[in-house]
Amino acid sequence: MRYLWFLLLLLPLALFPFPYYLTLLNFFALSAMVALSLYVLTGLAGMTSFAQAAFMGMGAYATALLTVKVGLSPWLGLGAGLLSALLLALLLGALTVRLKGHFLPLSTIAWQVALYILAGNLVGLTGGHTGLTDLPPIHLFGISLDTGFRYAFLTLFLLVLLVLALYNLRQSRIGRALLALRGDALAAASFGVDPAALRLKAFLLSGVIAGLAGFLYAHFLRFVNPTPFSLEASIKYLVMAVAGGVGSIPGVMLGAAFFTGLEDWLKDLLPLLLGRQGNYETIGYGLILALILILAPKGLWPMVERYLPSRDPGLPKAEPLPLKSPDGPRGEVVLEVQGLQKSFGGLMAVAGVSFDLRRGEILALIGPNGAGKTTLFNLITGTLVPDGGRVFLFGREVTCLPPHRVHLLGLGRTFQHPHLFPELTVLENAALGTFARTRAGFPQVLLGLHRREEERALATAYGALRRVGLESLALERAERLSVGQQRLLEIARLLASGAEVLLLDEPAAGLRAQEKRELASLLRSLAREGYTVLIVDHDMDLIMGLADRVVVMNYGEKIAEGTPKEVQRNPLVRAAYLGEEEVA
Amino acid sequence: MKRWLVALLLLGLSALAQEALKVGVVVSATGPAASLGIPERNTFLMLQEMLDRTGGVAGRKVQFVILDDASDTTQAVRNTRRLVEEGVVAIVGTTTTPASLGMIPVVAEAKVPMISLAASKDIIHPVDAQRFWVFKTPQTEELMARAIVADMVARGVKTVAYIGFNDAYGEGWARFFETEARAKGLQVVASERYARTDTSVTGQVLRIIARRPDAVLVGASGTPAVLPQRTLKERGYAGLIYQTHGVANPDFLRVGGKDVEGTLLPAGPILVAEQLPSAYPTKRVALDYIQRYEAKYGIGSYSTFGAHAWDAWLILKPALERALKRADPAKDLAAFRSALRDEIEATRGLVATHGVFTFGKDEHLGLRFEDAAVMVRVEGGRWKLERTFR
Amino acid sequence: MDATILSFLLLDGLQNGVIYGLLALSLVLVFAVTRVILVPIGELLMFAPLSLVWLLEGKLPGTLWLALALGGAWALMARGRGVLLPLAGGVGLFLLFLLAKGVPPLAYLAAVLLVVYLGVATYRVFFQPMRGATVLSLLIMAVGLHVAYQGLGLVFFGPEQFRPAPLLAGEVVVGLSWQGVLVLLFAALSLMVLYLFFRFSLFGKALLAAAENRLGARLLGIHPEEAGMVAFGIASLLAAFSGLLLAPLINAAYFMGFMLGLKGFVAAILGGLASYPVAFLGALLVGFFESFTSFYASAYKEALVFLLLVPALFYQSLRARAVEE
Repeated sequence: MRYLWFLLLLLPLALFPFPYYLTLLNFFALSAMVALSLYVLTGLAGMTSFAQAAFMGMGAYATALLTVKVGLSPWLGLGAGLLSALLLALLLGALTVRLKGHFLPLSTIAWQVALYILAGNLVGLTGGHTGLTDLPPIHLFGISLDTGFRYAFLTLFLLVLLVLALYNLRQSRIGRALLALRGDALAAASFGVDPAALRLKAFLLSGVIAGLAGFLYAHFLRFVNPTPFSLEASIKYLVMAVAGGVGSIPGVMLGAAFFTGLEDWLKDLLPLLLGRQGNYETIGYGLILALILILAPKGLWPMVERYLPSRDPGLPKAEPLPLKSPDGPRGEVVLEVQGLQKSFGGLMAVAGVSFDLRRGEILALIGPNGAGKTTLFNLITGTLVPDGGRVFLFGREVTCLPPHRVHLLGLGRTFQHPHLFPELTVLENAALGTFARTRAGFPQVLLGLHRREEERALATAYGALRRVGLESLALERAERLSVGQQRLLEIARLLASGAEVLLLDEPAAGLRAQEKRELASLLRSLAREGYTVLIVDHDMDLIMGLADRVVVMNYGEKIAEGTPKEVQRNPLVRAAYLGEEEVA
Repeated sequence: MKRWLVALLLLGLSALAQEALKVGVVVSATGPAASLGIPERNTFLMLQEMLDRTGGVAGRKVQFVILDDASDTTQAVRNTRRLVEEGVVAIVGTTTTPASLGMIPVVAEAKVPMISLAASKDIIHPVDAQRFWVFKTPQTEELMARAIVADMVARGVKTVAYIGFNDAYGEGWARFFETEARAKGLQVVASERYARTDTSVTGQVLRIIARRPDAVLVGASGTPAVLPQRTLKERGYAGLIYQTHGVANPDFLRVGGKDVEGTLLPAGPILVAEQLPSAYPTKRVALDYIQRYEAKYGIGSYSTFGAHAWDAWLILKPALERALKRADPAKDLAAFRSALRDEIEATRGLVATHGVFTFGKDEHLGLRFEDAAVMVRVEGGRWKLERTFR
Repeated sequence: MDATILSFLLLDGLQNGVIYGLLALSLVLVFAVTRVILVPIGELLMFAPLSLVWLLEGKLPGTLWLALALGGAWALMARGRGVLLPLAGGVGLFLLFLLAKGVPPLAYLAAVLLVVYLGVATYRVFFQPMRGATVLSLLIMAVGLHVAYQGLGLVFFGPEQFRPAPLLAGEVVVGLSWQGVLVLLFAALSLMVLYLFFRFSLFGKALLAAAENRLGARLLGIHPEEAGMVAFGIASLLAAFSGLLLAPLINAAYFMGFMLGLKGFVAAILGGLASYPVAFLGALLVGFFESFTSFYASAYKEALVFLLLVPALFYQSLRARAVEE
């Protein structure tokens, strides 16, 4: 199905008698590449950039300098172009991917303008605004690609390869992780994603793609100056991607095609409408962008997609990933919490809590609202850094490790409010859990070498869905699940990860009675297999029937620990829940 | 959709009528260079009307295809390709140096003769395989720099400073002016740059004033050239201020007002055509152009830049006539374009508005310093002829 | 570098810096109340003096039609009594313009009111419907409007620069014109008025409250829409006055606003888009920095100003966490 994109290669043949349209076709292909770089950066990784044209410029200038000033072959120029775009992305990315929210796009504006000014002023190096001329054409198999017709085959072919590589990316552990990261870095870290590293890699990939487009641009026009790599150009590419629908590959391609054609059409139309010569199409861009943002915020493609037949990917059939069953003697201490403390401003949320968790047991953590239970969870999983105290997992200290590292050591969690990804299918959501157990990196994924591992990961996820009873909904989008089903999905994700120690934060909240019974029986069977569960909940019947031991917290302190019966009889516990009783 | 219909119609019409000669025109009608490009475009619109009335050249209709490049090189290159594909016999344009430079490889590859309307010498020198196809009508900055330096020397100036655009225009001027100045014994004490869109040049101006030059040359064009001059005046600079011929348009006077009184600049003689001595070779042709332009666009509306466009046509027309005797564009466009190029290069002693053009194998500017430059001073908000170099 | 030059550079930096400061304050205010990063503020700034030039020559500027068109859209989108404001404003504006043709005092007033009306209408028509959107979508919309307004500026006013007469001609001392003094006085006055407004007036405090906590403000009866319109109105007012005061000093052209806005924006970022005093001081810093770098390294002055942003953003990021809550 995706190989239908190769049909694009027929376009140059169809347009052969119209050289002007061949030029436009080439510009479309190049714009589409930059738009695809935005698909990676914004659509998948959620970072908006106003600097894609700067990366393009890097690729273009690198090859221009090598071929014009040093006289080397364009193929070396390609290497230099990609490498310099990569280095620029590394430099910028290291500084800016850590920026929160809107600070990242603002910083890209700064870089873009600064680089544009530098390109225009370093006259000795770049030729300033006059630019560099007489770039040699690319030679391929002995043919000189110096006409629009021939060049179009090159650009379109590379475009289609890029499209296929990005489809691979989307349907891989990395694609899922990027989407998760964009929506919810917290949840992503909880199943092993290192947010800063992954963001940086996405930034690098996006920069290199734009650099490739720049290289092709340079050898097409055979002239390089700063103007096509300005802030205005970056904005144009962003508009293309957003207007078409930055969240999907067909979307950005549609945006690129739409605006390349529109630009040309507006150039002819607007002077007629306004009665005088001039380049007024910027007005058109601005207005169209405004309209799309108001009327179709997700872009044009979702509106088109509705009318297209959707494909059914089918259920996974492969062998699941090898699962290490929890081994080790029951009762062995797997998690040790010693004197954890955390305060926020003047408030002491957790004031020196200690307890042990033993393999195969279900430990319940209860307490009134505001007792500090979720904060304690966050301290254990690494989401928050404790002010004092220590945490040991399987004997290793994990006290100040970031959440994704803690997960990799075998601890997983769910959240008080389900952190799912509504646009992904139920199966994909569960497959997110396998992130830590799979290995394929960017190169393998882009080249499509990850297929086997991917199918096994999906099979593992499917198995987990079967365990919690959601397998019939596997191909539905997660946004259609009920609350109870969402909680089960979170647990499925946890199971798919193979984590041995499970921290469940209010998994029964919002469930109906039958669902709670099924949840309890699931947890019991997991415990029998050697999983260890630490559960927070408010449903006393559920807890008391399920837990082997209970820890009670109030005002940040542990006030009781023991079997359910012991704890129920404890006067401190009753006072905490019911208020001070008159001392009898 | 519309384009298809128009194309079909044109195809049909031109099949019926005799082939019109298409001449491509690229100018910067918008963007920072618009004050130069608009008169150029207007000149060609005027020419189109004239030719439609008089029936064209050698009995064939002439059609100008005019495109705007918005002062952007990439746009100019795209427009050039488009014109080539539409089958033009020659291309006139474009207004700015960087964009013209960008067009050169395209016309060279397509083997279409080009007459540029931009200033820099780099456009036509050296006449290599690519510039074989490129000619131009405006005086180069080298020629105008010669005029400025000659005037400075005559006034006893010893030290000069320069402040110009940080793009090809300003860089080119810096290069040629400083070379010529040093060659004639002047000392260049400062060389500053600013962007066309800058709103303040205080720092640069202060550096210049600190060096106390006898004269300052502003290497800019259009209304942005006012800023450094005004800043110099405000900071108390009392020496001579020169501008380049890029400011020879009414907008400069309008925006500059009192601040630009006394400015000295080199210009094509047409700027002060009525003040030229009657024996001046270009006077008659210049006045003719002015009269025609003002008849259509209003008194006082003509500019030296529009005149460059007129000169391009004055060169192109006889070249077309001669080429039509040798080849037929309808039968063999490539041969016709080549013949046209040869005939342009064969131009000898053609009296135009800015000077007398004589091209040659290694000379694609063709202007002589003595005819093509005069010194002008701004007095009372008007251009006043200061001296000629004949 | 001697004392004269130093004083020139400081004055120049101050004069530019206060304008960037006013723009920065406007940007911070608008962002705080509406989460919009008002990229088109530069165009609003330029529309004032350009419209003024047109009026003084006895012509109606295209910006008037733009404002009326947006006002019409606003009226269509509003319901009930909400229609009165745009309609009354639009009619009043139109009549004022007819009267002001060629009459300087009225022309200045008309130009300012035009930009204010345009700014408020911009909010109402483009940003209010997007109220729930992310900061990023709002930013993209703002960028789109900047592009459209700049293009319209070209259509309405052409590509050349214009120079309205200064309100006060002549110089106080070499290097400082009376017009420059006016700019400084205006900045000081605006700062004081804004300070008093936010500190002591009920509406001002309400506006700050809406900025801090929109839901809470709504619960207390403060309409976010009103707050948004007032914020945009104040920003447009400051921009209009800044434009009118600056234009005699720097010439006005359709493309100049963007750079001025960007520098104000650098200053606002230095203040983290949250703090008014830091933003204003940051703007002065930008002004001085620009002045001195233009003296020492004129070609790179703007690149350096933008690179100033980098440490600022870096500092902001250190205060934030790598993993978002």
